[in-house]
Amino acid sequence: MDFSLSSEERMIRDTVRQFIANEVMPLEPEVLKNERNGRPAISDDTLKRLQEKAKSLGFWGINTPKQYGGAELGWLMTALIYVELGRTYVPFMFGGSADNILYEGTKEQQERYLLPTIAGDRRSCFALTEPGAGSDAGNIRTSAVKEGKHWVINGEKIFITNGNEADFCMVLAVTDRSKGPHQGISCFLVDRDMGWRSTPIQTMGEWSPASLVFDNVRVPEENLLGEEGRGLALGMRWIGNARWAIAARAVGAAERLLEMAIQQANTRVTFGQPLADRQAIQWMIADSAVEIEATKWMTYRAAWMLDQGMDNRHMASMSKLYGADMANRVVDRVLQIHGGMGYTKDLPIERWYRDMRLFRIFDGTDEIQRYIIARNLLKGHVKVGQD
Amino acid sequence: MKILVTVKQVPDTATKIQIRADGQGIQEDGIKWVINPYDEFAIEEALRIKEKQGGEVVIVALGPSRVEEAVRQSLAMGADRAVVISTDAAVDPAAAATALAAVCGEEGFDLILTGKQAVDDDSAQVGPMIAANLGLPQVTVVLKLEVDEAGHRLRAERELEGATEIVELPYPAVVTAQRGLNEPRYPTLPNIMKAKKKEVRRVSMDSLSLALDPRVTVNRLFAPPERPEPTILSGEPEETAKELVRLLHSEAKVL
Repeated sequence: MDFSLSSEERMIRDTVRQFIANEVMPLEPEVLKNERNGRPAISDDTLKRLQEKAKSLGFWGINTPKQYGGAELGWLMTALIYVELGRTYVPFMFGGSADNILYEGTKEQQERYLLPTIAGDRRSCFALTEPGAGSDAGNIRTSAVKEGKHWVINGEKIFITNGNEADFCMVLAVTDRSKGPHQGISCFLVDRDMGWRSTPIQTMGEWSPASLVFDNVRVPEENLLGEEGRGLALGMRWIGNARWAIAARAVGAAERLLEMAIQQANTRVTFGQPLADRQAIQWMIADSAVEIEATKWMTYRAAWMLDQGMDNRHMASMSKLYGADMANRVVDRVLQIHGGMGYTKDLPIERWYRDMRLFRIFDGTDEIQRYIIARNLLKGHVKVGQD
Repeated sequence: MKILVTVKQVPDTATKIQIRADGQGIQEDGIKWVINPYDEFAIEEALRIKEKQGGEVVIVALGPSRVEEAVRQSLAMGADRAVVISTDAAVDPAAAATALAAVCGEEGFDLILTGKQAVDDDSAQVGPMIAANLGLPQVTVVLKLEVDEAGHRLRAERELEGATEIVELPYPAVVTAQRGLNEPRYPTLPNIMKAKKKEVRRVSMDSLSLALDPRVTVNRLFAPPERPEPTILSGEPEETAKELVRLLHSEAKVL
């Protein structure tokens, strides 16, 4: 067992940390101002400029296979990078990536959808969730009916990340209800100009997903992605194993917040003593540090398992459950340590506070993670005490 | 042209330094080590010269095994290879300069670049002493450097108090870098990956058989004294002014 990072891993991590600190964090005040005036956090131009600068350093398509021009870094390295990205609330992401199910497309589909997405010329969204189907994805009602050389799609999707900005969508629809969810749901590539519409959904955080409406949207048959009836398996492959990525972001955010709390505790004096001398504050700081550390190692392990070709879904669920809860506890304590100032919009803590709440909901709620973890143990898929 | 850059590994400037119980040095456990920031300017300048005119950039470093990390970072910035003089001993500036000069001399070079000083002991002696050891011209605290390959000369702008001095000199020479010379680059991902495969030649300090009697020995390191509690005078301005003068005269003895 070796818990140390290799010299490359450390250098890559430090370079990303430096890049975020020098190039991205200076945008934070502007992001707060923009969001509070109802504007996008950063403009497309700014994002593009940052992505180009990162690209000139080789940070482009960090998980994209080399044959598509990416850096093809491993998953542990990706987790380390996500921790660094999580340290800022500026919505920055390295360019050059595409949803992994796009790689399942035919050569022709790859040319029309995958390659332009990697290049940043097209934007995708993945539409599975419906008002009546979330983690219970088999319940989707959206349907696709074959009419000649077209599929006609009808239905409604909700909470679709990037749904407002995307110019095409990977949508899951029922193609044969009689065959059940595992044989009767298919995935389609649907351009926006084929007729689907999106409406932004306001949330308590700064994540603004979309609801999508498909009203007799006609899709050419060559836009079926993967095999007919096997859409759910395709979608599920995309979901389960990356839940640790949310935990990694939670670690980055919590570390940054804890740094703020430590600084506040050392500088704010009440009744002649710094807050740092108060046991109540010390305990909040200690508990936060312990929980961050615990999340970090579960997250690294989940990512490492994926690098080893192991089934990491159990560990990914555990890290996501614990990490999402951890981040919410930490941001709550850090806000408390800042007192009234923490509650104001002069500081970014309230923004983190609202944002972190989403972590317990998306990509499987806390309850879904517990259900998965318990089921694995109760059915014997995972044995207690087995490493 | 072939450029050697001598690099020192120093504690990160954000690190809180703790003095060892024996007062002979600092506690090294838990310290984050970095490339001396002034040496980063030297590396960057060397890479820029190489990019413009071709050639080779070789890192020369000295110290215990941890120095390897600073060397790999330098290689990740784009240097071609490195020589490390390995020693666990505490080395004074003269000994460091003697050893570095010996290895530089054996390597051969057109130019030696380094930082104007290291941010740990701030001695600012090693660069100039390497030049003296090798009998070379030197220019220190440089803010701008131009290389005239045809005329085999350097033109350097160096910082003086309130003025800039322009120096022309032939090379081979030693140039030490000041903040402002350039903006050091980030290591690129491909260079980080390549850094591991680049050649790092290790030379043990002992094998150089140099006379390294220290000219400087550390007697004791200690932290600056804590600032005493301030005295705050209150009362009528006329009274407090008199009291202040009295204190400055008879207590602080500055008047």
